[in-house]
Amino acid sequence: MLKALETFLLNLAVAAVIALGLMITASVFSRAIFNVALPDTIVIVRELMVAAIVLPLAAATLSRSHVAVEFLANRLPPRAQAWLAVFGSIVGLFALMPLIYAGGREFAHNFTSGGFFYGDLELPKWPGRLIFLIGISLCWLRLLVLVVQDIRAIRAGDYSFADTHAEGLD
Amino acid sequence: QTTLIHGEAGPNRGARAAALQWFADTVGETSGGDLKVDVQWGGALFKANAAVQSIGDGVADLGTVIAVYYPQEMQSYGIADLPLDNPDAWVGMRATDELMRSSPVIAEDLAKKNLVYIGTFTTSAVHIGCTGDAIRSVEDIKDRKIRGTGAYGKVFGELGGNMVNMSIYKAYQGLDTGLLECSQGYSYAVTALKQQEVMDNYTLLNWGQVGGLGILMNKDVFDSLSEDQQQVLLDAGRGMADEFGRLITTANDAAIETMKEKGIEVFTLPEEERAKLVAAGTKHIDAWVEQMNASGMDGAALLEEYRGLIAKYTEERDSKGYPWTR
Amino acid sequence: MDASTIGLIAFAAVLILLALRVPISFTLAAVAAVGTFCIFAFRTGTFMPERAIRATTSMVFSNSFDLIHSYDLSMIPLFIALGHIAYKADITTRIYHAARVWLSAVPGGVAMASVMGCGGFSAITGSSIACASTMGRICTPEMLRMGYDNRLATASVAAGGTLGSLIPPSVLFIIYGIFTETSINRLFVAGILPGLLTLAGFVLVIFIWVKRDPAAAPVDTAEISYADRFRAAALAWPAFVLFIVIIGGIYGGIFTATEAAAVCLSLAVLIGVLQRKLTLTSIWEAFRETCLQTASIFFIAAGAKIFVAFVALTGVAPAIVDVVTQAELSVFWLLLSIALIYLLLGMFLDPIGIMVLTLPLVVPLVETYGMDLIWFGVVIIKLLEIGLITPPVGLNVFVIANVVGKDAPIDRIFAGIARFLSVDVIVLILLMAFPAISLLLPNSMM
Ligand code: NA
Ligand code: NA
Repeated sequence: MLKALETFLLNLAVAAVIALGLMITASVFSRAIFNVALPDTIVIVRELMVAAIVLPLAAATLSRSHVAVEFLANRLPPRAQAWLAVFGSIVGLFALMPLIYAGGREFAHNFTSGGFFYGDLELPKWPGRLIFLIGISLCWLRLLVLVVQDIRAIRAGDYSFADTHAEGLD
Repeated sequence: QTTLIHGEAGPNRGARAAALQWFADTVGETSGGDLKVDVQWGGALFKANAAVQSIGDGVADLGTVIAVYYPQEMQSYGIADLPLDNPDAWVGMRATDELMRSSPVIAEDLAKKNLVYIGTFTTSAVHIGCTGDAIRSVEDIKDRKIRGTGAYGKVFGELGGNMVNMSIYKAYQGLDTGLLECSQGYSYAVTALKQQEVMDNYTLLNWGQVGGLGILMNKDVFDSLSEDQQQVLLDAGRGMADEFGRLITTANDAAIETMKEKGIEVFTLPEEERAKLVAAGTKHIDAWVEQMNASGMDGAALLEEYRGLIAKYTEERDSKGYPWTR
Repeated sequence: MDASTIGLIAFAAVLILLALRVPISFTLAAVAAVGTFCIFAFRTGTFMPERAIRATTSMVFSNSFDLIHSYDLSMIPLFIALGHIAYKADITTRIYHAARVWLSAVPGGVAMASVMGCGGFSAITGSSIACASTMGRICTPEMLRMGYDNRLATASVAAGGTLGSLIPPSVLFIIYGIFTETSINRLFVAGILPGLLTLAGFVLVIFIWVKRDPAAAPVDTAEISYADRFRAAALAWPAFVLFIVIIGGIYGGIFTATEAAAVCLSLAVLIGVLQRKLTLTSIWEAFRETCLQTASIFFIAAGAKIFVAFVALTGVAPAIVDVVTQAELSVFWLLLSIALIYLLLGMFLDPIGIMVLTLPLVVPLVETYGMDLIWFGVVIIKLLEIGLITPPVGLNVFVIANVVGKDAPIDRIFAGIARFLSVDVIVLILLMAFPAISLLLPNSMM
């Protein structure tokens, strides 16, 4: 269920990157060939950037691709390493909480006040904030699940998850 | 001693920085060292587009707010950005400052965001610098690759300009490579960003200004100060218009001189062409009034008051001269 | 407890958490959040947790959101996607095949070509991170496939990426120019020779490295005919086309560097599809990998950004600069102290953050010594670039680590970096001792 949601959000992020790439390309052609500026390209690209960056965070967390300095920890016994991995995720849970709290507040504020970007289309500010909130919240949830699973694994004597480095992608 | 943190997105250079430093120094002096303003330059705490929440939430006690980033939250302050016939920096600042300071409607609106108004800057009058042919008439705007901002940029687009989205800091490169033919700006910024190196000519539009730019303060912090301390801040804020007016008028004159020395042709847009620009801006002024009405503030009344204030200070300038020349 | 003390404790906490294998992004964001909370909560002398929570969360949110909510930085996912697409469309493999057949006789030739490629890419982008992430995506996997030592394959690109800010265009020079009111164009031109000098130094490092340890860069001993060499070069045409489009477009005034990324990506997809190398599935897969990598890179950058805002609140930077100012040092000792301060801050903070924290204080100081601000700018940018590859927080190294994944853990990359750093220090000393290296071009050209 969580996995399916993560895949869905990752695909949305892919769509966002493709969309922003096409949008910028179109604006270059429109300006150079037709002498016309597309409306609010910058604002739309910025909003798409939020989707591109934040929506894959949970999937990136699942593949344990957050970069860490490992060479000191690597000298410890496997069990200690496993606990350190859990500790890292707990720090992550903590680090994301202010973002979720303020992200929620920002979204609610912009949604109710009707804040918008200055520009041709007067696009609302809330969608980017909502995407941010969703992406970070899901990442938090994924970390929580990892913490629970990892602790269970340690209790069962399985420390292999701590060796999972960032996935090579090819 | 109370130290107040001020968040400023710009660098500690140039006329605006000098005026902000003057504000900080004045607060220190007139409070007899009781208050100290500590400026964090360069957006170290927050960028210009996060200023309103950041000040309201207390990330900084005070901060510089640029209204154009907040067309909704800073609607009322946006009156100073309208393409009105308002070319004089000092007159514009005085009028904006008095409106912001004395209007109970605006004070109440700011209070809802946990903000208190302290003082105003301005970019000063909007002009345009180009490579190649100069803008000598409204007709010349057509099909030129222009970087514009705010309602002024919208009007350039409506008059046929091919608008290029770019920050003022990148305009130098844009003009240099030919990506841009013209960049909207204001005189002291042109030389501060060395754009005279890449421009061929500069047309004084004498149109309006981007004046919704000033110091706001966190209301909780303001309320926690003694009445004397509050008065020190408000007085220093009011004094900024005169001080910045002096600085920016000198800086703009010097900038024009520098441009001329560099061989840049400086034109003044003829009166009838200028009138066309002002007329083209009307629909954006009407749109502002409607937005204000939608938020429950009487836009037309505020606009009338503002125009009255512009007339009042124009008259004062004409009869007595600028305060620093008196 | 005053704010600077909280700042110093925070630096220690970062070191400890990093040693405990806590991911970098989490470390920076968590330490900054706790530190900021402490500063706000105890500011007035009485404990005010509610206000502190509101201010802290607001600060943490706006600094990370604004970093992501950026038009200019859209260049990074676009260039990373370009790297993936070019890989899947065989464009990069062909460049490397060409590089290999032409440079087969030169030990370490492909690594040298990669560093030079970084130099070329620096002329396109103003950002070292964009440079490292793109070139890391393009060069490192190919070098690893050729059997290069993973330290060499990663460190050469991490170091090469630092050319991004020295060779124009450069975001750092633009910010420096704004803070000092010096001509951005003169700064750009001033960066060219120091950039090329650094590049030459990196090539030298690779040369010596491979000379001492030939196994680090396997050499192809097979004799290759010139016909084969030219055929290999001809097959690499899509890369040349992309390069010409980017350079021509930017310097011909058709598009900006950010727009160049989008145009080139579209073009690369088009070439790949027309050559029947790309399918919808492989394109989608390339973008998925792009998204996963970009997310991690930005997450680290956001952590760094939050940490800078926290450091601003601590007042550590003005405290250090104050000490130097009070000491009324001679020019030599002043420069040495400034270099040490920047190297020290560079261990933890990102370049733009260091600039906004220190330039308002340092520039007036060096002005009173009558130093040339253009030359000083080059020295500062060089120092900041070095900070991108020094431990514990070396953004370029993290970017490469993120891109190559399990093939090269961070300590291996830092181990390789050490050799490049030694040359960086020599270049730095040369730049400080001979201002002419920086000033020759701007003084003769304009
Ligand atoms: Na560059
Ligand atoms: Na570093």
